[in-house]
Amino acid sequence: MKTPRPLVPVPPVAGRTLDAQLHLLDRQVLDNDGVPVTTVDDLELSPPGSGPEIPEGTPAPVITALLTGPILGTRIFGGRPPSSRLIRIPWKDVADVGVVVRLGVSGQNLDADWVERWIRDKIIARIPGGSRDPR
Amino acid sequence: MILGDLLGTPVFDDDGVRLGRVADARFVVDGVPPQLMADARLLGLVVSPHSWSSFLGYERNSLTQPWPLPALLRWRHSGSFLVMWADIAMIGDGSVRLRRGYTAYSPALDGDGQE
Repeated sequence: MKTPRPLVPVPPVAGRTLDAQLHLLDRQVLDNDGVPVTTVDDLELSPPGSGPEIPEGTPAPVITALLTGPILGTRIFGGRPPSSRLIRIPWKDVADVGVVVRLGVSGQNLDADWVERWIRDKIIARIPGGSRDPR
Repeated sequence: MILGDLLGTPVFDDDGVRLGRVADARFVVDGVPPQLMADARLLGLVVSPHSWSSFLGYERNSLTQPWPLPALLRWRHSGSFLVMWADIAMIGDGSVRLRRGYTAYSPALDGDGQE
């Protein structure tokens, strides 16, 4: 294995730098009301080209969506769920990336927390007193 | 393209010499914001010759506490480098190939987690 030396400092870039593992993956996602929606399980990028070869001058891929979904099993046993099982939160809905990822939209309209909504409406609401607002 | 498929992928240079694995992907948010945040374009990939897992990014910042974790993790990721998108020739199912004469950049971030 060959390691290239010496390392050159990265030329300055105009925008904010985000390392996927450090700043995005596994971060909690809050909606515009500060309500937790989900966590970032993976990222979807725009396709870099039509094939594996990348011609010189090809524009860099951009993040198109944050992905979430049923990944517990694949985290333990390896692999990842099929792309069709992953739920997408479009990058254009992201308002800020910090300790948490904040969205600029309401979580009520997102598919990401449908399980929670389903449990609330179908199970919790049918328990006596379950439909009362606890606040 | 899903990023999780790229992380951990072996990286080779133009001669087929193995350089390491993709440890991370660096993005820069520098587009024109359509509404809330600008597009985050892929700036490059962080390649680590020993381990593709990264723990809190100690190898990319200057933190020295808590002893001895930073030194240990820096040693584990010694030889890591950042390769820019322009130097990536091929992203296949099981490997990434770099262009001939690619430049290896320092993967270091500053204290604020920025370059």
